[in-house]
Amino acid sequence: MRFVYDKARNWVTPHMLVAFALFGSLPLWVEGVGLYSYIGVEVLIWAIFALGFNLLLGYTGLPSFGHGAFLGVGGYAFGWFQFHLVPNLWLALVFAILMTALLGGLAALLVSHRRGIYFGLLTLAIGQVFFFVASKWTSLTGGEDGMLNIKRLPADFGIVSFSLQDNISLYIFVFGVFVVTVLVLWRLTHSPFGKVIRAIKQNEMRVGFLGYNVFFYKWAVFTISCAVAGLAGGLFAMAQEGAYVQVMSLQWSGIVVLMTLVGGGMVSFWGAVIGTVVFFLARDLLGTYTETWLLWYGLMFMLLVMFKPEGIAGMWQDLVAARGRRRRVAASRAALAGE
Amino acid sequence: MDLLINLLPHLVNGLALGTLFALIALGFMLIIGVMEVINLAHGSLFALGAYVALVVMTPEGGLSVPFLQGWFGIDVIPRYLAALIVAPLVVAVAGAGLELCLRRTYGKDPLFGLLLTFGAALVIEEAIRVIWGHGEYVLPIPKDIRGGFIYGDLIWSTYRFYAAGFSILMIGLLWLFIEKTPYGAIIKAGAHDSEMVQALGVNLPRLRLIVFGIGTGLAAIAGIIMAPIWGIRPQVGVDAVVPAFVVIVLGGIGSFWGAVLAGLLVGMVVGLTAAFISDWSLLSMYLLLLTVVTFRARGLMGKASVLER
Repeated sequence: MRFVYDKARNWVTPHMLVAFALFGSLPLWVEGVGLYSYIGVEVLIWAIFALGFNLLLGYTGLPSFGHGAFLGVGGYAFGWFQFHLVPNLWLALVFAILMTALLGGLAALLVSHRRGIYFGLLTLAIGQVFFFVASKWTSLTGGEDGMLNIKRLPADFGIVSFSLQDNISLYIFVFGVFVVTVLVLWRLTHSPFGKVIRAIKQNEMRVGFLGYNVFFYKWAVFTISCAVAGLAGGLFAMAQEGAYVQVMSLQWSGIVVLMTLVGGGMVSFWGAVIGTVVFFLARDLLGTYTETWLLWYGLMFMLLVMFKPEGIAGMWQDLVAARGRRRRVAASRAALAGE
Repeated sequence: MDLLINLLPHLVNGLALGTLFALIALGFMLIIGVMEVINLAHGSLFALGAYVALVVMTPEGGLSVPFLQGWFGIDVIPRYLAALIVAPLVVAVAGAGLELCLRRTYGKDPLFGLLLTFGAALVIEEAIRVIWGHGEYVLPIPKDIRGGFIYGDLIWSTYRFYAAGFSILMIGLLWLFIEKTPYGAIIKAGAHDSEMVQALGVNLPRLRLIVFGIGTGLAAIAGIIMAPIWGIRPQVGVDAVVPAFVVIVLGGIGSFWGAVLAGLLVGMVVGLTAAFISDWSLLSMYLLLLTVVTFRARGLMGKASVLER
């Protein structure tokens, strides 16, 4: 399975422009196709989360099975900050990012020596620890009921301030955050740092022989990934107007792995985004026909793991490669005929 | 001394709980040890076992067809024994089906086997919801193992002792099967060097199918034994698979006695924390795991395996 990398030097790629155009124009057409703008908010937030997660799974080859924990922590941190310190959107988001980076950084100290399945099992245990603490520490998190009444703080730009109360304006704000996240993560994954983590995925030992501090790189990528999860968690708390413990459970941590894999996170930067879109569309479209949509989604996932673990992005790459081959064959035939 | 006497019931309960954790982990361990597949569907198959037992034992299970009315009328003991035989068989067939799907992931990154079984866990749990609904069921048990008895000023639950005894029996039987029968020898050899075993003329795909069937059948037995303690709910699978995996990682992948020891240890720790802070008792299990694994990367008695690559 090969990861297909785009032209590394570009800050902006055609794929990126397509994605931005699609998501940017979403408020104009979303109701026309029978959906609603809140699903756009959910998709973008989970796409941010999945993009951060894919730094681990797709780029470094480290399967984390407890990543939902950090989404949850971000939500609680966002809520706690606006209740107890300053109700300022920017500061609360920064606090959510810093808190998750801190806790993620501590967790990373425990797991960064591991690889493969052992890494997955340890992150699963850590995720469960966070889940348990969050569901029992009622005075801080609200326990099973969740942390309620988290406000959608206005986006204050100094001169102008936008209310994010309605879903459309929240969508536009989240879209802005999504664009920034994509640009930052794209740069990160196509920087020397990105090269090293991709090398770790292929052969960790050899990277160590070349003199890189593998532990540090794994620690750093885990921490960054958690920080992105914290950002998504803060946004999600705002979207739901509350932070709930469910996202920290094993199921949801597993579902983000599912999403990323279905979309093709193993072979492409965009796999995480595609997977998120497919998951939420499946939930809403299958969900209108049957209550058991998760059954069908699960079956589809099993088939995909069996027959095409590269996911949807992998199928697309095969298609493009096949077209390129055909074109080259046609060109050489034409050249032969011309002789 | 006073403290010790106060702690004694918790220690006994912890030990009993420990044997149950070991029982839950037994099938999981067999599959991971022999096939190096992490079967995340273990918990869902555990739940499925309890539901199948329900179908065998009561009309609530959904099989209230007329010609079975007589069956549901008879004494509970033969029905219970029938459930203990039928449920593992049914679940073993489901498990064998899962193994057939898993074949496509052999030789690839073990992550894919894990992901496939995670998908299977979702599917089985949703299927349970479709067939039996969201509600909670109670599995009837023979009255000889119900209730409690008084010993030294304390009330002890009879069922817990029965369950612990049953777990020890199952652990012993599995050990005898692996260590003392020719099938066990082949299974162990298959785990050690599958190519050589195949070269000696053993039908390895069939062996793997059987091992997976036994492993998932053990999950079903654990499901029946735990049903009166945990209740029968669709989401009970997660409650089962997570301790199973904690026990295995703690004990060390590929080690039989490591897993049994880890099961007892986890049971003791959970039982003792429950004595002081009952809300947090399950958390202690993970803290124990993280502490041990930080210092002993392969768990208490683990060996090197393909999962580390």
